[in-house]
Amino acid sequence: MNNVDLSRRSLLRLVGAGAVATAVGGLTSACNLVGGSEKSSGDKVTIKVALTPDPSGASQFYRQQFDLFEKKNQGIKIEVIENPSLQQLNAVELMFQQGNPPDVFRAQDDGFDRMFERGWTASLDQYVTDEFTSRFPAGSLDPATSGLHRDGKLCTLPLVWGKWSSVRMLLVNNAVLKQHGIAAPPKTWEELEQSATKITQAGGGKVFGFAAMWNNGDPIKMFQPTAGAWSIAEVGVDLRTGKAAVTDPSLGGAVELLRRLHAGKVMMPGWETWTDTARIYTAFAKEQLAMYPASPFQVNEVRKLNAKIDMSVLPIPVPASGRAGYSGQRSNFSPLWSMSAQSKHPDQAWKVMDFLASKEFHLAYYEKFGTLTAVESAWQDQAAANPDQKAIMDVAAEALRRGPNPVLTSPGGKELWNAIRGKQDLLWADAAQQSILRNQPFAGPAAQLNAKLDAFIDEQAKALAGKGITASRNDLTFPAWNPLELYTPGQK
Amino acid sequence: MLLLFVAFTLWPMVASWWYSFFDWDGVGPATDWVGFGNFAEVLQSGAFWHAFGNSFLFSLVAIFVEMPLALLVAILLNSQRLRGRNLYRLFLFLPVVTTTAVIGIVFAIMLDPAGGFVNGLLTSVGLVDAPITFLSESYALPTVMAVDVWKGFGITLIYWLAALQTVPDDLYEAAKIDGANGRQTLRHITLPVIAPIGVVILLLTFQKSMNPFDLVQAMTEGGPNHATDVVATYIYRYAFDPYLNAPRYGFACAAGVVFGAITLVMTALQGPLLRRQYLKGSR
Repeated sequence: MNNVDLSRRSLLRLVGAGAVATAVGGLTSACNLVGGSEKSSGDKVTIKVALTPDPSGASQFYRQQFDLFEKKNQGIKIEVIENPSLQQLNAVELMFQQGNPPDVFRAQDDGFDRMFERGWTASLDQYVTDEFTSRFPAGSLDPATSGLHRDGKLCTLPLVWGKWSSVRMLLVNNAVLKQHGIAAPPKTWEELEQSATKITQAGGGKVFGFAAMWNNGDPIKMFQPTAGAWSIAEVGVDLRTGKAAVTDPSLGGAVELLRRLHAGKVMMPGWETWTDTARIYTAFAKEQLAMYPASPFQVNEVRKLNAKIDMSVLPIPVPASGRAGYSGQRSNFSPLWSMSAQSKHPDQAWKVMDFLASKEFHLAYYEKFGTLTAVESAWQDQAAANPDQKAIMDVAAEALRRGPNPVLTSPGGKELWNAIRGKQDLLWADAAQQSILRNQPFAGPAAQLNAKLDAFIDEQAKALAGKGITASRNDLTFPAWNPLELYTPGQK
Repeated sequence: MLLLFVAFTLWPMVASWWYSFFDWDGVGPATDWVGFGNFAEVLQSGAFWHAFGNSFLFSLVAIFVEMPLALLVAILLNSQRLRGRNLYRLFLFLPVVTTTAVIGIVFAIMLDPAGGFVNGLLTSVGLVDAPITFLSESYALPTVMAVDVWKGFGITLIYWLAALQTVPDDLYEAAKIDGANGRQTLRHITLPVIAPIGVVILLLTFQKSMNPFDLVQAMTEGGPNHATDVVATYIYRYAFDPYLNAPRYGFACAAGVVFGAITLVMTALQGPLLRRQYLKGSR
């Protein structure tokens, strides 16, 4: 019994000592917070940066870059929190909910708006200097078109070149085309179909003319804008009229093109089952595939896998009747880096943000990954001398035009646009995929979807009114927009 | 223990019931009450019932293919006369301890119609003229189910082996003295004795089979054209899909509640039948 008593007493003492230590520690850290850590000499402020370690090699790259930053900013230590790309937004949201948010975080494209709407992103205007603005192309940080401003305030910074996220291209293996007696890459949908058919038929199951990653209808989103208003493929709505346009011939034509290619067994078998983009660019790099529609980063990946491949980077072919639209660029940049509105060290967090938008960082990123970044002056000369990268820039100049952006134009537009995108049952991609895979006409399902989508827009407008948000079809209507021309914001 | 149960089992369940009544994106307090709106949408969703049907098919295959097959193999591996039976058991159990995501990716590569090992073999021996797209809309579901059976086979086998160990040797010896052949011994000795444990194995297999999320996500992500969509991948799309700008946690919770309720009913319906079987077997 005595032994037991002693143990209990010892235990109580230990618990007591622990409690005192914890209390002292807590008080000490509270003093640090109140007094500010910069006041204590030798103390470093830790800035938490939540990012995704992509592309491959990004983990080491960011650590090296942040080490360089830390050398120049002795009072700041950067703690990197890595999350897989698909989990990044959810992980950052959880960090905010748990009261332990990162100071700087990556929230890309629409993901940024999720963070902004919750009041988690800081306004950066107070930190922006003329020198900062001068890093970007003249006028590109205009609040109306930057894509980085919300409610007129700069709230996020970009990583990649503005056109990088929007431009799409046809990658062509010239050697394969020549082997099959095809003199020139296709410029029209019809030429593409003919060339692809010829190659697959002669390929003997080893080489195929064409393939595409489905990925929620990506190939349709690449072809349709050459035949009509890009917003139709984006959400099924024609932004010239504000009405559902799933029945538009431009969308139907693109679906039918893929339907014919699949039904004729022209496409590389199994294409519809691919879930990883690496599958398609690897097939292209291995010269199993003659042509496929791609996003710019894949050009670098192909070149890394096969440095000697005879590859052309070309605009997506247009219908034989001629171009009727361009791929849409909704803003000058896409959001990527944000600063937490809850950061306890906003000045230090801004220094990290400033570094992530510096010429030095953007040059390093370009040199490491071959990505064209937002600070064009960092890489312009080198890219002009690189045939692949020059081709990407040429395609962007030829096939991409700025279009209207309902998300930035009005709160109602943003709500309606996001509501449509969130309503999976009303997006055309599933119906189109079914049509292609089962070789069934798209027109019937498209008409049904069209009616449902129009009804949904009206329902949503009413529902939003109930929540005090003014929204109507007008928020989705830009009658002065011509898909063949550059759109200027304010044009209505 | 009670605290842990409340925190990690009861609370998440009750919370998901509560959230299913809201139009909620998963952040901040749920305030937009929609009543039974999410449930109505789930029950009217063709995609949900399609996914549910696929989940149910996974269960049918597990119960009517995996279980009997595993029992058959377990009886073979239980034979004292079989040499190297421990090695066979090890090989059959290996897929169970292999990471499902790895299995999914490796199978997707092996089954590739353009250069995959399986199609290469089939065409080289002349079994097929043209490569089979195993993960196409037509074949993806049976293919993923076959991989699921292969992956889970080892664990069901172990259950059955454990059950077979409970059959007293005396009974086999008595049957042998009475002149019973192998089939008669199986029918009148082995199966009746292991039947009560078989009931438990059935329930375990049924529960396991209702959630093939990791395998489906790794192999097909529910595609193509939702051909392999199961309820778990359906829910995942609405709750966590990064391409969805506004995640619908409330709707996803409602889908989970509906699925849970139906599974509960289906399990409960098996109760009287299984109880009868259990009592019959234990007599």
